[in-house]
Amino acid sequence: MEYLSTDKIIVIDLATSKIEETALDESLVSEKIGGAGITKHLYEKYLNDDPIVIGTGLLTGTTCPASAIGLITAKSPVTGKLCHCPIIYKVGIEIKFSGYDYIVVKGVSDNPVYLWIHDGVADISDASGIWGKDVWESTDSLRKLMGDDLIQTMVIGKAGENRSDYAQICYNYWSSPDRFGLGKLFGGKKLKGLAFRGMGLIEVADHENFVRRSFEILKEIKTNVFMTKKGIAEIASDIGEAGIKEWLEPIVHRHSADYFTPYATNTVVFLDEDPKRVEESKVAEPGVLISDIPALLAFKKLGLSAEDTGRALKACAKYGIDPAAVAELSGKSSLKEIVDSFDGLSGTVTLKGKGSFSPWCPLKPIFNDFGLSGDAAEAETWWERRQAVAMIFGIQPVFSVMCPELSEENMLELAGIGTELDLTQEILDRVVADLLK
Amino acid sequence: MNLYQSYADINIKLPQGKARYISKGNAGIRIPGVPDPECRRMHYPKIGIYAGSGTSHSWLWFVDMFDRMGFHAVSVLDAPAVRSGRLQQMDVLAVSGGDTVAIAEALGEDGARQLAAFITGGGVYLGACAGAYLVMNSSKPHLCHFNFAAVKITNLSKRLPTCHGMPHKFSIAYGCGHIFHPVREAVGLRLTGVPPFSSEPALLAPLYGGPGMLAPPEAQVLARYDHFTDKTVFLVDKDLAEETLISTAAALRVPMGNGQMYLFGPHFEHPHYHRANRLVANAVYRDSGRNPDGRPPVAVARDALELPASESANFIRSLRRELSNSRIVAAGFEMLPVRWLIGAKVYEPEKIRVFLDAMWRRLKPLEKRGRIWARAGVPDLLMADACETTVLLRRLKNEIDKGSDTDLIARTLFHLLQRNTMRFFELYFQTISNNLTP
Repeated sequence: MEYLSTDKIIVIDLATSKIEETALDESLVSEKIGGAGITKHLYEKYLNDDPIVIGTGLLTGTTCPASAIGLITAKSPVTGKLCHCPIIYKVGIEIKFSGYDYIVVKGVSDNPVYLWIHDGVADISDASGIWGKDVWESTDSLRKLMGDDLIQTMVIGKAGENRSDYAQICYNYWSSPDRFGLGKLFGGKKLKGLAFRGMGLIEVADHENFVRRSFEILKEIKTNVFMTKKGIAEIASDIGEAGIKEWLEPIVHRHSADYFTPYATNTVVFLDEDPKRVEESKVAEPGVLISDIPALLAFKKLGLSAEDTGRALKACAKYGIDPAAVAELSGKSSLKEIVDSFDGLSGTVTLKGKGSFSPWCPLKPIFNDFGLSGDAAEAETWWERRQAVAMIFGIQPVFSVMCPELSEENMLELAGIGTELDLTQEILDRVVADLLK
Repeated sequence: MNLYQSYADINIKLPQGKARYISKGNAGIRIPGVPDPECRRMHYPKIGIYAGSGTSHSWLWFVDMFDRMGFHAVSVLDAPAVRSGRLQQMDVLAVSGGDTVAIAEALGEDGARQLAAFITGGGVYLGACAGAYLVMNSSKPHLCHFNFAAVKITNLSKRLPTCHGMPHKFSIAYGCGHIFHPVREAVGLRLTGVPPFSSEPALLAPLYGGPGMLAPPEAQVLARYDHFTDKTVFLVDKDLAEETLISTAAALRVPMGNGQMYLFGPHFEHPHYHRANRLVANAVYRDSGRNPDGRPPVAVARDALELPASESANFIRSLRRELSNSRIVAAGFEMLPVRWLIGAKVYEPEKIRVFLDAMWRRLKPLEKRGRIWARAGVPDLLMADACETTVLLRRLKNEIDKGSDTDLIARTLFHLLQRNTMRFFELYFQTISNNLTP
């Protein structure tokens, strides 16, 4: 596969330390398009090896607006079903730039390892030096070891190592959309995490036309009124959480967007530093990056202050545990009790949706109605499809439920221009149907 | 057709014994396919690039240019190689930028004798920037052995003028005086129409410390500094810059015995200046030919061996791993406010990646060849130095983060990079040129 692709799939067997590289066949892209369409195909291909498949969307890392994400496809320890978890921030694009479209991790390692994926090279490395460390320490160690502060990581903390059902795979220092307990799978494979860095380039078939159309779409998006807003409080407020803006505002330091995403879907709050400080903080860990709206609201509903919510989210990120599960199952309402509950957490979490896609993304349209009637069943069907499409092309899922201008038609058009393949609505419908069945 | 490809197309045919002809006349370089009384048969030149002590990274520009144009019978030479007579197997020697005095010191009297014998015997000398200063008459220690051209330097002064910017790049001691650099970056040149520079009237080339020159009677002026551009950075007052450079010679062709010296103030070999590159290639075609026949057109050392396919693949994979590790750390430095004084030259972090990327970009072409040619032990030495480079880079990063003095590590690192890049290109050109003959 020449375009929008690194043309590489890698299969890493942790049991034997064998690494196999294969090319990404154009025919597979013609049939499955990309992202979840292909990760599911690879999952099924290696089903007997209990694989975790990490991948990128067909448009990931391009000039298509919000083409920010990669995804993890695996069987969820929480639901027992095949699930697709988005890889957000700048981690998803780094997977593609580090030289691989898809990474299949199978087998169980005898000893703790991490995978160092860089410039089309995959190394299985000894993780004994970071096993036992929390998410923040692990990311710091990997970056220091490799000598680059821009290395993007997917790591587990103690929750994953201890194989908690609620263990999250965290991205860099932060909590992730992982509501599926995928951190437990990493722990079970003695896989501490993956580190990505690459300086690769993506070839685009008709690059001038691709960029031109991308910017036309972006221009159209910018005419929508929601583009004047930013941050998670605006989203939470729009989906009906009254008073959230006033509650969070005193500790908000800034908002940040995932790669090339026109709306800032993340908010940084400062806990140990003046939130109004403009210059770089001298405090080592002044705050926390929040992308998880349901978890934020769940802690708020427990009665925590905004600051204590921030501290709880920070503690969850370091421990590598799903904050929404903690909020639901801990049964506690003080920060200390919540943090102390991580080890003994048990029970069944409520996951909205059908279990394929992460309910970390609000399950309703944000800022725009997308022409929906207000019927709950219709909204659910719409959300599942919107998530599936986002996971196929590599589109930031939260942005995809707020931006009608980023239509299926636009994504298919860009994919066609970028690959010179005839990717039709019928093919997309078939891939989506396969993901939703 | 792509400029480089047009040269590569010729250079793929010459080693196969296919006849191509070049104009002897004054109309400039033409490359007709059929013999003509006004033409002589072209041959595929053996080219040496000096990359030993005293050079900066700019020898890699010559490597890039020659590689893209399909001149693959290239040997990368250090000072001992020049002193020991390797030059006598070459048609062309290219010396680019760096510290002129350090180059002269490294080559020494023996190197100067070898260089003189090479040129007078019919060799072509391409000297850019420091490479141009090297062969100009001088009474200064070390340089005094290289009095090959009575060129006067216009940017030489007993008293330094006022510096208006980039003080670390501004001047260098030259005996009791100073060579100062009036401007940097792109300057406009007017060509004089003298072959082999007669194909166009004007072009741009970048100046990074090279001389303005006043030609001796025996020399031909090929190009003069004509104007400054919106990219030109002034390090002195604009009037003084004009007075020092405009209308002086920017490129000279100076005869010496049976050979020719091409002296360039600006870097005609810079990879971003394609039209200037073409003139350098034309100079090579026009004047090289002292050893026209009877030698295989390859750069292979007599004791080079062909590695088995699996060993070649493993070697490239391992080298890719280490170069990637090094590049990733090196890219991170480029946002840091550090630089190092090594010898008389200031090195910025960006220069680290110039060496690493030069090797990185050639991994795919090597991979395509399938099998590597190298002298015994060279792949192991290359790998060992590549691993050591990563270790040093990571140590450098840690020390910079701690705010420590990093001059010593940087000096060791650049020495290592220079050595390993030379080794790499020995292997690279041996491998590529082994596929030249049918």
